[in-house]
Amino acid sequence: MKIVKQNTKENTLLVGFPSNGLVGIFSISYLINNLKMKQIGEIEIPDLPSTLFVEEGEIISPIRAYNKNNLFVIISDVPFNQHLAEKFSSAVHEFCKKNTIKKIIIVSGMETINQKKEDLKIYGLITHPVLDNILYNNQIPKFLSGSIFGTDAAIISVFRKTNIPVLVLYAECHPFFPDPKASIIAIGTLAKILNVKIDTQDIKNKIDKLRIQYRDLMEETMRTLQQQEPKTRAPQIYR
Amino acid sequence: MKNNDEFETTLPIISLLFDDAEHRILSPLSCLKEFDNHWMLEFDLPLVSKKDIKITFDENTINVEAKLKEKYSEEKLGNVTKFEYFKKSILLPGKIDNKKIIAKFQKGRLEIKIPRQITGQHVKIT
Repeated sequence: MKIVKQNTKENTLLVGFPSNGLVGIFSISYLINNLKMKQIGEIEIPDLPSTLFVEEGEIISPIRAYNKNNLFVIISDVPFNQHLAEKFSSAVHEFCKKNTIKKIIIVSGMETINQKKEDLKIYGLITHPVLDNILYNNQIPKFLSGSIFGTDAAIISVFRKTNIPVLVLYAECHPFFPDPKASIIAIGTLAKILNVKIDTQDIKNKIDKLRIQYRDLMEETMRTLQQQEPKTRAPQIYR
Repeated sequence: MKNNDEFETTLPIISLLFDDAEHRILSPLSCLKEFDNHWMLEFDLPLVSKKDIKITFDENTINVEAKLKEKYSEEKLGNVTKFEYFKKSILLPGKIDNKKIIAKFQKGRLEIKIPRQITGQHVKIT
């Protein structure tokens, strides 16, 4: 008789995309590299302008999926407008159905007034009460009030009507400048939730250079996000 | 996501980036927030020391120049460019009250509080 150890861990999907401070991009890409996750595919979104990246001669899609054991990741290197955010959310939903994903964790940034305080916090927003225990066990305060727009809002809107719960981790950050320091807090929180060990020394060493390197993506992200801001506010002027 | 304790009167203005590879100048990210009686102009200046920042201004423009602590290299299409400076000018949507400009530099972020010159005449209500 063969005894097979049953895998009791649920499939979890992490999602990262450009948003405030690029916290999601920094955190999720660092996790992919640190855990040596394997790329398992690319996510295609209808209407997404043809964009490909070339890295050391290799053609890379801007939206990719990775996997290791029960952990799945979808990461996008391009920001989404409202229309594309909805298409992206649908693509994430399809991915979840195909891979029997039981919960989703999104990492994003939250604008904080006091940028100078040392103890940057991370807040959690959940779509289903079943994830309350993750917040409680990891001492993550609940995000209690505020407004959400952009890709995270689109994903929440889709999944709150399904049986797949979503936890959005909002790290306090500078919303308009790349903030790798805020992402270190997010990486630490993710590591606790996922019960994995992640050494953040490498990203700590590169903070200043990442802030310079990611200026273009930050700028593109802000322009895309500002198109989605509630229309009750003054229109944006670029100069 | 935004916290409910928002305080600025308009959305911040994000400026476009134009690096000058020939002169080894990077364009820093900046954002401008408009308040009732002042602007708050922020520049992201990583790899910079406070002593290497120069701020100048005229009637309605703020200029910021800074020398990097170490050269920053960037590779594009096989060409490596080394940058040594940050430089940017921001045109403000009004005149500056030049006596009260305050600048602070912390953790690689430069904050300049620029009072607005209030002009206009009172209208008497009868």
